[in-house]
Amino acid sequence: MNSIKWVWQYIRPYLFGWSWASIMVVAVALLNIVTPYVGGLIVDNVIYNGESDLLLPLLGLMLLGTFVRTILRYTYQIKFERIGQNALYQIREDLYTKLQELDFTFFNTTRVGDIMARMTGDTDAIRHAIAWLYFNVLDNIVLFVSALIVLSTIEWRLTLALLIVTPFIALFTILLSIKANGAFYEIRESFAKLNSMVEENIGGNKVVKAFANEAYEEQKFDVRNEGFKKANMDSVNISKTYLPVLETLAGFMAVISVGLGGFFVLNGMMSVGNLVAFNGLIWMLNTPMRNVGGYMNDMQRFITATYKIREMLNTKPLIPVNQKKSIQEMRGEVEFQNVSFAFADEPEHFVLSHISFRAEPGETIGILGETGSGKSTLVNMISRFFDPTEGRVLIDGEDARRWNVLDLRKQIAIVMQDVFLFSDTIKGNISYGKPSAEFEDIEQVARVADASQFIEKMPERYETYLGERGSGLSGGQRQRLSLARGLIKHPKILILDDTTSAVDMETEVKIQKGMKDVSRDTTTFIIANRISSVKNADQILIMSKGEIIERGQHEELLARKGSYYDIYQEQLGQSEVEEEEDEDGSSTD
Amino acid sequence: MAQVQTDTDKKLDKKMSAKNIKRVLTYLKPYRMKITILFLVILLSNIIMILGPYLTSIVIDQSIPNQDARQLTWIIVLYAVATLINGWASRYRLYNITLLGQDVLRDMRSDLFIHMQKLSFAFFDSQPHGKILIRVVNYINNLSNILSSGLINVLSDILSIIVTLAIMLAIDVRLTLYSLILMPVLFVATMIIKNKQRAAYDELSAKQANLNAYIHESIAGIKTTQSYTRESMNYDIFSDVSNQQREAYMKAVKAQDMLSPIVQNIATITISFIYFAGIRGLGVDVSTGILIAFVGYVNNFWNPIINVGNFYNSLVSGAVYLERVFEMMDVKPQIQDAPDAYEMPPVKGEVVFRDVTFGYTEEQNIFEHLSFHVKPGETIALVGPTGAGKSTITNLISRFYDIKDGAILVDGMDIRDVKVQSLRKEIGVMLQDTFIFSGTIMENIRYGNLEASPWDIVDAARVVRAHEFIQDLKNGYRTVVQERGSTLSAGQRQLISFARTLLADPKVLILDEATSSIDTQTEILLQEGLDRLLEGRTAFIVAHRLSTIRNSDRIFYIGDKKILESGSHEELMKKKGHYYNLYRTQSKLLKKV
Repeated sequence: MNSIKWVWQYIRPYLFGWSWASIMVVAVALLNIVTPYVGGLIVDNVIYNGESDLLLPLLGLMLLGTFVRTILRYTYQIKFERIGQNALYQIREDLYTKLQELDFTFFNTTRVGDIMARMTGDTDAIRHAIAWLYFNVLDNIVLFVSALIVLSTIEWRLTLALLIVTPFIALFTILLSIKANGAFYEIRESFAKLNSMVEENIGGNKVVKAFANEAYEEQKFDVRNEGFKKANMDSVNISKTYLPVLETLAGFMAVISVGLGGFFVLNGMMSVGNLVAFNGLIWMLNTPMRNVGGYMNDMQRFITATYKIREMLNTKPLIPVNQKKSIQEMRGEVEFQNVSFAFADEPEHFVLSHISFRAEPGETIGILGETGSGKSTLVNMISRFFDPTEGRVLIDGEDARRWNVLDLRKQIAIVMQDVFLFSDTIKGNISYGKPSAEFEDIEQVARVADASQFIEKMPERYETYLGERGSGLSGGQRQRLSLARGLIKHPKILILDDTTSAVDMETEVKIQKGMKDVSRDTTTFIIANRISSVKNADQILIMSKGEIIERGQHEELLARKGSYYDIYQEQLGQSEVEEEEDEDGSSTD
Repeated sequence: MAQVQTDTDKKLDKKMSAKNIKRVLTYLKPYRMKITILFLVILLSNIIMILGPYLTSIVIDQSIPNQDARQLTWIIVLYAVATLINGWASRYRLYNITLLGQDVLRDMRSDLFIHMQKLSFAFFDSQPHGKILIRVVNYINNLSNILSSGLINVLSDILSIIVTLAIMLAIDVRLTLYSLILMPVLFVATMIIKNKQRAAYDELSAKQANLNAYIHESIAGIKTTQSYTRESMNYDIFSDVSNQQREAYMKAVKAQDMLSPIVQNIATITISFIYFAGIRGLGVDVSTGILIAFVGYVNNFWNPIINVGNFYNSLVSGAVYLERVFEMMDVKPQIQDAPDAYEMPPVKGEVVFRDVTFGYTEEQNIFEHLSFHVKPGETIALVGPTGAGKSTITNLISRFYDIKDGAILVDGMDIRDVKVQSLRKEIGVMLQDTFIFSGTIMENIRYGNLEASPWDIVDAARVVRAHEFIQDLKNGYRTVVQERGSTLSAGQRQLISFARTLLADPKVLILDEATSSIDTQTEILLQEGLDRLLEGRTAFIVAHRLSTIRNSDRIFYIGDKKILESGSHEELMKKKGHYYNLYRTQSKLLKKV
């Protein structure tokens, strides 16, 4: 019932069309009864009674009835399909909107294939219910009710006797719906699993091939493929217990009608003509009974689908998007006040603890640290992809939580570690965050990111298409495109999360020089593993296990001879030795 | 913008062909015994369906006029038994038709998946992944009904059409001809609708694929979208793609639903005509009883025709999906084993490039006449500007792409002569982008060697210094990571990927920017493991870090479609060429404060 109430909100806008179409369903169901009736009139009146002048009018009536009926039926079918599509469209939109609101925590724990299954398979089950199931049920109800009325007028005792079967039919239908519910849930779960497995296989095709693990993948696939089949068979195993019983019970209505009716006639309680008429109409009572099981299955599928969709629509994003705070020009001051953070699923394990620092507008902050020490999590908090568990993040002196998320993010560009490029042109990818960007702008940032050279060499230059995830480009090339994408926003805060790891040092220096010109007033955060990337920063933070263990400028840190110094020495490494052999020694400052 | 590629509609180039139908039949062939039995069972229940009215007519014509209560009782018993048998038949039919359909789907999907494993990088790189996914998962599901219940029902329908037609002919030839008079009209109407419907479904499947691809990419790229606050624009694109799907659907349904009214009207016109002809003469002289029976048969005749028409309907729409599936099955893998390819025996690790020319496209070459010889156990560092083709060289060794000219030999064997899988088993590649599968950390490392024991896995993790962070995780090695390992940092993913490669124990090792996201402290620790890893193996290393490069036996400086310089660090420094410049710049950059 909840499911129906929920789906009703998507139908309500089309209430007028829906009502008309429903009326048409009733009309068609009644006309369905009229046509055989006219056929009967022809036989009785024209053929047996020889009233041949009635032939043409009756034939005309039959033709007209069929014509009107088929037209009405076509009209309402299309109407329901249209309403179904409109509802489907709206549900998909709502899901898509929700998708965009949900936070990183949700995406880190939900499989892509699972979301896909909701947005495709589940929405389709709902469409089926609106566009097909509803009018068929209505049609059958009309049929059943009119059958009851008509049959009762012919012989009410026999009709009553037939109804003995109905409680059994109701019982089995209810049993079926209880059992079937779980089975349909399993079907859609195993479908989502199959979907996810194939999705991963496609995404990881390079790794699969590199390890020549095709056979293993096929094995994994077989499990999912068989699992999906099994879920379907489990459902049919339930159906096969109940549906044939329903079918047989419906069949027994005809047996009772002939048998009991026959005895009624023998005992003079009923005329032969009435028995013939009664039998001719028994299908009207029969058909709905036969169909009820199938409809119940569809109904369960619909309920399961709405359940999954509503679950996603009801997920509350941890970072609410719709907060009102008037857009203000950001200066780019960032301050962390004693910030600690733990993921919701591991509340006792702090990824960051007691982080405090302050970045003035236009400053550059370098962040260095071990793998997994929380560097990315730290910068993600500036864009509010996560909110601190303890402490505060202040942007321009204002708690980030009080900023409107969209306004905040509009002024921050984050160039992520995992470069995701869209299946779009290079131009489209660079201007992703600013679709209105002028071409000159695009060219300029591509130059700054040192990407223009390789772009110019591509077959269609800026119009070249990239595959999903930018496959076909080298890691360094992808990083530079992603950097250009960040720069074109001309953000107040720029976050570079290991952006140049796959770029050689020479290029990196070139990029850094170029960036100085375009982002002079931009507060910049650079996460890197190379000293060269961060050494010109106004402040360098060294992180370890979620804490800042050293901070300061390059020289201060070197003088301290702590871990920064160690890293520096290691990276400088052998080049020291080289310097001694170096004859002209011009590089020694 | 972003929708452009998800918006390109691939039109089917081929007409719906008999070849495809034949191909479908090959999937049904293994189940022909089952299909035959099913067919017989359906026939049985059809006979029972006819039995009902027959028994009823006996009751009315004989039992009642004769006041024969005994006969009536027997008939009721017979009727009840027939109904029970019919119940059993419908149970049998329901179960077995579903089983058949599921079996065929499973087989077909499995074939498609296995074929997909053979397809080369280019296939995956050239289209949105959502479009591949929809074929393997959704399209195949769409075929379910056609291949099971649809097909069998249509067989029994065709049978009853033939039987009915025979009875009609036996009764009266002229009336039979009268009842077929509108057949050509039906035929023409069906053809017109079919053409419309096929075009509409073709469009629908393309729009559906676009929509799925867009949804898929939206989910996969959500973090980027949110960072760049592109939500509202994406929403507009999505609305557009979604709307196109809706309109295409409506167009398809409008065409499809047309068939049934046409058939019903034609049927009614025919029946009217028979009444008219029968009653008003028209050269037919039949008794009233026969006329009534005949009309009954005409009714019996049209019902299966409506069913066949509906089946044809779904066949036309299903064919579009089927063709997309077959289209993918027909994509030729670019890398194929030669017919006489042999298993590569365990190798020592000698790698030779002989005059190799290669380019990803016809026009542009990445390398021309590239030759080098790497001895077993040598470590080669590949350096040079980004995009010069360092990764390409490593891709060629694993035969991810075939070269245009020349030859690549491993231990003297041309890699095109051996089975691709056996070649790749000998070569361990650590790719630039690490891919983590959903599952436990343990399973992810085991991916490198499926036979590895848990101890081997922990050992490998220790060597690459992944053990420390794994132990810190909530469930250690049994921690479940989601697809693409989004809960791990890039460096952690690289370490896992590293352990995976180590576990594979290859003779030829390729490290493509394998440590770019790993911090220096971890890398120092890792170095030890790396040394152990490199021992006794031929290795190609693409890296930017000087220390890694320096320690290698030889350095290839790649540029200008060839190797510009090669030699040990010392040799190349003396040469004062490209490498010298690169090296000097780097140290200078580091030292300059």
